Amino acid sequence: MDVSTIIQLIWILLFILLITGLNQRIQLKLWVFDIRTKLNTIRSLLEEDKAKTRGMLRNLGVEVPEAIIERVIEFFTIEPVEIEPVDIIKRMDHLLRTTEASVRKIVSSHLPSLGRHELSLIESSLSIVAALNIVYKVIRHYLLTGERENNFILIMQLEYLMPQVMRIAYTYHEALDSFMYGKPVGDGAGALVVYNLIERSEVKSRRVVDDTSVVEAYYKGRRLILVKAEGPGSNVGHPGAVISRIVEDLKGSINLIITIDASLKLEGEETGSISEGVGAAIGDPGPEKIAIERAATKYNIPLRALVVKMDLKEAITTMKKEIVEACERASILIERMIEELTPPNATIVIAGIGNTMGIPG
Amino acid sequence: MPLHTLQLTDFAWLVLLIIIIIYMIYDLYSRRPKRSITYTRETLVCTKCGLNVERDFEPGDFIGLVKGKCPSCGGNLKIKAIYSIEKTKK
Repeated sequence: MDVSTIIQLIWILLFILLITGLNQRIQLKLWVFDIRTKLNTIRSLLEEDKAKTRGMLRNLGVEVPEAIIERVIEFFTIEPVEIEPVDIIKRMDHLLRTTEASVRKIVSSHLPSLGRHELSLIESSLSIVAALNIVYKVIRHYLLTGERENNFILIMQLEYLMPQVMRIAYTYHEALDSFMYGKPVGDGAGALVVYNLIERSEVKSRRVVDDTSVVEAYYKGRRLILVKAEGPGSNVGHPGAVISRIVEDLKGSINLIITIDASLKLEGEETGSISEGVGAAIGDPGPEKIAIERAATKYNIPLRALVVKMDLKEAITTMKKEIVEACERASILIERMIEELTPPNATIVIAGIGNTMGIPG
Repeated sequence: MPLHTLQLTDFAWLVLLIIIIIYMIYDLYSRRPKRSITYTRETLVCTKCGLNVERDFEPGDFIGLVKGKCPSCGGNLKIKAIYSIEKTKK
């Protein structure tokens, strides 16, 4: 048989594959193999993270850590009814707070002698494992469904989504280390900016309301009310509810509200770049953000925002040096905004939004 | 036509096939994310003389924690920043 005949046979074979649809079957099998390989990688990351968490709990004296891990990582919250929007924020806030309290109760019941700081680190570490567990289970679900129903489109979508899913899985895996040891994460940029401002101002009083730290300070003749989650444990606090309460207590006599938060950057944007704008810079599911917007709107208080940009990985893993430097620049920018936008004797509320892990105050 | 008298068009097909395979393998490996190792470091500042000291992070450390004495003036060293440094594997 000469080469031309071989090439002709190959073409005929390809033609048969095309008209019978067998090429799609072969493609489907190749994609399923690739997705399964990646899914096994996610499973090994999950097992590794569970083992680390087990070790941490055993070191703290929990005899059967599996019970607490399985209970927390399978914990769920059902979203409130959306077709009836009346009081949805109240209902959502109630459900979120109940979730928070329930997880805390589960963890503290196994570790009654542990302090709040350590408990918060365990809660957050378990949340990381839970997130990775969800990623694993959802991908496995779609893979098995696609395989069972020979759903070419579903498997194709999954195959093209896998690089993004793998990036998220590796991000959660890397984030666990930061949460286990209480290192500041990128999401804490807002909290760090407010901490820097507290350090530079003349502090008059400090109090903690609803897991949130409220510091009254003076800066160049202006009264600053600095709000951030209570640290240095892993905590995001309730800045919206607290700002709303402050505004009501002062009957709206506030000249300016500034919120500072970490923001997800677009591809191509530089990590640590800072942008300012208008609105409430806070990425909660809704209750905290709407509380700030409502309080500001009710008394016609200007609402300004400042964001420090980073990607998802940088937001939930140990804070990069570029972000620390950006927070320093953001603190200077806030001071400039205070001087530009408010007269002396003004009252300004400044809220640093985000997880305050590793950042006290 | 025997194998040793390979025609130019057949040879061109063969070369094209090899180029496509090499390109696909290259594309697959070049898109893989680079693995990196991260270290957590912290900057401590002397509250008296302002000296900056850089050290490795230790569990339990947090920003603002007073940790040790200044090697220069004996003042308190306070953690100013905790951050990660990335080193990409080749």
